[in-house]
Amino acid sequence: MNAPFFKFGLFGDEASLIVAFIIGIGFGFFLERAGFGSGRKLAAQFYFTDMTVFKVMFTAIVTAMLGLFWLSVLGVVDLSLVYVSQTYLAPQIVGGLILGVGFVIGGYCPGTSCVSAATGRYDAMIYILGIIAGVFVFGEAYPLLKDFYSSGAMGKVTLPELFGVSYGLVVFLVVLMAVGGFVGAEWVEKKLAAKVKGVQQ
Amino acid sequence: MKAIKLSLNQKLAVIVMVLGLLAVFAGNPYRGNTATLNVKELALLVDKETDHISVDDLADWIIKGRADYRLVDVRSEKEFAEYHIPTAENIPVASLFEGALMRNEKIILYSEGGIHAAQAWFLLKAQQYKSAYILRDGLDEWKNRILFPSIAENASADEKLAFEKRKSVSAFFGGSPRTGTADAKSTPQLAMPKLEMPAASAAAGGAPKKKKKEGC
Amino acid sequence: MNTIDVAAPEDIEERAPVEVIHKAQPFWNSYLAGIGLGLVLLAAFVIMGRGLGASGAFSSLVSVGINVVSPEHAQANGFFSENLGDGVHHPLKDWLVFEVMGVVVGGFVSGLFAHRLKGSVEKGPRISTGKRFLFAFLGGGIMGFGAKLARGCTSGQALTGGAVLGVGSWAFMLAVFAGGYAVAYFFRRQWT
Repeated sequence: MNAPFFKFGLFGDEASLIVAFIIGIGFGFFLERAGFGSGRKLAAQFYFTDMTVFKVMFTAIVTAMLGLFWLSVLGVVDLSLVYVSQTYLAPQIVGGLILGVGFVIGGYCPGTSCVSAATGRYDAMIYILGIIAGVFVFGEAYPLLKDFYSSGAMGKVTLPELFGVSYGLVVFLVVLMAVGGFVGAEWVEKKLAAKVKGVQQ
Repeated sequence: MKAIKLSLNQKLAVIVMVLGLLAVFAGNPYRGNTATLNVKELALLVDKETDHISVDDLADWIIKGRADYRLVDVRSEKEFAEYHIPTAENIPVASLFEGALMRNEKIILYSEGGIHAAQAWFLLKAQQYKSAYILRDGLDEWKNRILFPSIAENASADEKLAFEKRKSVSAFFGGSPRTGTADAKSTPQLAMPKLEMPAASAAAGGAPKKKKKEGC
Repeated sequence: MNTIDVAAPEDIEERAPVEVIHKAQPFWNSYLAGIGLGLVLLAAFVIMGRGLGASGAFSSLVSVGINVVSPEHAQANGFFSENLGDGVHHPLKDWLVFEVMGVVVGGFVSGLFAHRLKGSVEKGPRISTGKRFLFAFLGGGIMGFGAKLARGCTSGQALTGGAVLGVGSWAFMLAVFAGGYAVAYFFRRQWT
């Protein structure tokens, strides 16, 4: 088998849009099932009252990472053809900080706001208008930001390359970290649930 | 012995830990180390010469501005700087696996005569590159047929007609056709064309505008 | 392996946060939903060789909008012109645009079957709806700007880049959580 199928020319650009739509449906479905249509649930991550964001996100990362790793080792997927975005350390860290602030204020990220708007949240619809405004402002400011935008370029670099260790070792460390995080997340939720109950009584 | 009862979440945790731990010992996920070579299949390819591209075809593609392949010059940087086929990129054999080439690309290799290109072809095939090709007889043939085509004096009418066409191709690449020289070898040093992309091709293919990014 | 003390799902039963929604089914176990999400992402890797995204669709949308209003302005701007593509394909015939349309449909379908479709506003009890709308717009704007600066959002960078172990994506992910936790205290009235 030659995967990624698209990169080996098994289907063309037009068909890829159908694939995009179907994959999007799956993406939206599981986001909604996880409860990510609710801004309160998403924002609760930042108040330690509901760790769903962390749990779902890292479960998804671990699942996809392990799947991709094992399919590559078995020779099904050509890992070198799977897109890895370029690293631009400075703008990505600053952008991430800004994004985190926007997350707490707005209550969503772009993907979850679509799900939330689709299930009838008015604030999510307004949030989407906000994203459009934000992208517009960024585009207009792009000539000024251009230098910073391309600073700290490291190319297409992955963690195993950066640290000079094997891919499998990083996979294991991510799994360890995630499972450790899950144990912690469950503990935090239990503690806070008890606290909230105490307050109510 | 009492069986340990695990909740669903605990079972999932055990599964990912096992898969993660095994990953440490699974080796490199980038295909290559684990690639197996189908020798018989390769031998058949060689036998049928389906892995060859003629210089005429290549010249035709360059003139038409086709961009669905990558032309790779496997000679040294110095040789590449002296002359290379227009649109070619320089990847010496030792640098083949530094990430410039993708396994799903159509790759046409050439060297001076063809030996290095053929060796590079085997290396690529061994690393599961799907469509690697060799420019038949390499740069030597490119010079003989495309840049400095010659024709025998006693050529037939048909051959002369074909030669007229070859002359225009030669002119496109900045070469100089040789006419009437029965002893082509005695011709003094042929001036190699300048290393500029032929203007006509640049207009036809142009610098292809970048496709939209794949990222988010 | 027995030492991994992950609490059973029934201990922390998930409840729909908005009580007014009647008969709404509880959300799935986070880990099962996460596995589902991960498998969708894996499918994208295997079929397309690329991951998921969301904010990219908004770039295309905005760029097309600008191009309609003023093509000269759009072409002169490096950001807009890049999102308009090579001029061969229509910029809205884009992978991410179709994917995000799918996200909307998928979210709707899931909400429909779980009886979670209801016009409502997500906010804490201590803030007015008008203020919440203002914050939603502001937050969206900040998010849109940050996502473009970082070349992606939580889907494209954190989730996708995280799974392929991209260095920038992991730095981004840590920065998102850092930024969120740093300011969460100041906006607590909105949510709690």
